[in-house]
Amino acid sequence: MRIRSIAWANLKRRKGKAAFLIVGISIGIATVVALLTLSRLIKDEIGTQLDQFGANIIVVPQSNSLSLDYGGISVSGVSLDVNQLKDEDARRVLDIPYRNRISVVAPKILGVSNVEGQPVLLAGVNFDAELKLKRWWRLVGQKPAQDGDLLVGYDAAKRLSLIEETADGQSQAVPVMPMAEITSGGGVHANHIQEKAFRIARDRVQIGGNEFRVAGVITPTGGSEDQIIFGSLPRFQKLLGKPDQLSMIEVSALCIGCPVEDIVKQISTQLPNAKVSALQQSVRARAETVNRLTRFASAVSAVVLLIGGLMVFTTMMGSVVERTKEIGVLRAIGLRKRQIINELMIEVAAISTIGGLVGWTAGMLISWLILPYFSQSGLKLEIDPKIAIGAILVAVLIGAVSSVYPAIRASRLDPSEAVRYV
Amino acid sequence: MSFVVIKNVSKVYQPDGIDSAVRVLADINLAVQEGEFISLMGPSGSGKSTLLTIMGAMNRPSEGSVMVDGVDVYELPEERRADFRREYLGFVFQQHHLMPYLNTLENVMLPLVTSKTSAKEKRSRAMAVLQRVGLANKATRLPNQLSGGEQGRLAIARALVNEPPLILADEPTGTLDSNTGSEIMEVFQQLNAQGQTIFMVTHNPENALVAHRIVNIRDGRMFNESEKEQ
Repeated sequence: MRIRSIAWANLKRRKGKAAFLIVGISIGIATVVALLTLSRLIKDEIGTQLDQFGANIIVVPQSNSLSLDYGGISVSGVSLDVNQLKDEDARRVLDIPYRNRISVVAPKILGVSNVEGQPVLLAGVNFDAELKLKRWWRLVGQKPAQDGDLLVGYDAAKRLSLIEETADGQSQAVPVMPMAEITSGGGVHANHIQEKAFRIARDRVQIGGNEFRVAGVITPTGGSEDQIIFGSLPRFQKLLGKPDQLSMIEVSALCIGCPVEDIVKQISTQLPNAKVSALQQSVRARAETVNRLTRFASAVSAVVLLIGGLMVFTTMMGSVVERTKEIGVLRAIGLRKRQIINELMIEVAAISTIGGLVGWTAGMLISWLILPYFSQSGLKLEIDPKIAIGAILVAVLIGAVSSVYPAIRASRLDPSEAVRYV
Repeated sequence: MSFVVIKNVSKVYQPDGIDSAVRVLADINLAVQEGEFISLMGPSGSGKSTLLTIMGAMNRPSEGSVMVDGVDVYELPEERRADFRREYLGFVFQQHHLMPYLNTLENVMLPLVTSKTSAKEKRSRAMAVLQRVGLANKATRLPNQLSGGEQGRLAIARALVNEPPLILADEPTGTLDSNTGSEIMEVFQQLNAQGQTIFMVTHNPENALVAHRIVNIRDGRMFNESEKEQ
């Protein structure tokens, strides 16, 4: 017979109380596990979705010369740089060690050209990459399918009289890539969201003596895209007299919780002649969004755990009072204070471990049941042993911390008084 | 040399909310020889149980000293005093204070929980003691499945399992009917006949007569001591 035998016998004897404590701890742990699991999954989902909404790293030539504005970003040295970016540089971005964190690399050539008598900013892009990056674009018309196809910003199209407003007010615009299909890489689907209604009135346009087909017009975005004509990268490079050159490379990195600065460093190492910078504002905004979720989950978890701890404390205090006589007898027959504390702590540890395990199981079950109501993209629940171990450790910690005072108080009972207690 | 020497022991309590102190024991001097059986008699509130707990290394006297086997008990640090209780003393309480969730054998093994001996050895020692008090055949019963007398014998068995030199009993028959009380007193007599030193608090004159010596106490003072003829 050992101290643990007394603890075990006591637990068996006080099954109701032990069950009450287990249920209490389980509820606390289940709530925390469910909250943290869901918030982590949703955080990942939001993070992924946010990352897919635009670039968060910009690569431009190393230069202080002439600058142009694109997307609110100052783009330097479009045409006069000594160290021009090349097509090859866009491919080299994907050679960095963190390449699996990069979702899109969108190279561009920018230049001003006279289009039907008006100066317009041209952007030569890789349409596949560009449309992945600009998922919020909505098009009237189609996605470019051929080398000579253009996408024209709303303001540019209007200035060039390429569009006319429709009488019925019904938009024919379609999203570039619907949210539901972002992860599956789906195509263009029609929908009927009300917006500025127009149609393409003229689908041919002359630029630098070449005729291009207007495949689609981008509905107003409120950004600088509205002023731009987008064409295929090789065609515009040739048109602007900059074959194989790039003005900038936009990179979208999946960076929620990943070191964007490290990615920037790795790209800088890979492209020593380029200036690589993270769009801190964008990254911070994303981090802030997801951190709010985490903070909320953490705050609720803390409150729940505090309540659980108080419950254990109250129950253990009650148990000590109830067991005054018994503890006094143990002290009288020669158990040391430390051994009394051990006995109570073994009981609490056993209860807390079971509570932690049951709580983790319940928390995962709850997460699994309610996840479909929170997730839009069919997130899958994964069993993470670290969370299971963490849940048990937290339960034991809460139990132990809440029982320290009752246990010490029990050990300090005056045995001569306690054995008189009836 | 006496096995237990109580010298000038006084105990004063300061009850909560009362200004004046209450003197429970005053200038107690007593010596207990090895193998002796002493009864301490006195009315309720006379300080009998207080003296017993002071002898039992559980209740520090306000003045005086308690020596057991040459050890000044209250000079020991608190945790060493717990060890001392385990090694030197066996307690039999009035209410028996058995653990209701442990069976007979486990209750007897309780003082051995901190012992480094093997489980088998503990079990064997406990069974031997149960044999001595006639409860070997009820080793697996819970206390509430035993009669009052059996519970008393079980309490004695628990006090004996560490083979302590001194047994301290606080009105061990106080809650029992006369027949059952006699049964318990027989056990004490047998133990004493085997050389066990026993110090017993009682208010029952018949039980007190079983002892070699009766010490009387009233209002915290020893006032009369009678020795039975051997």
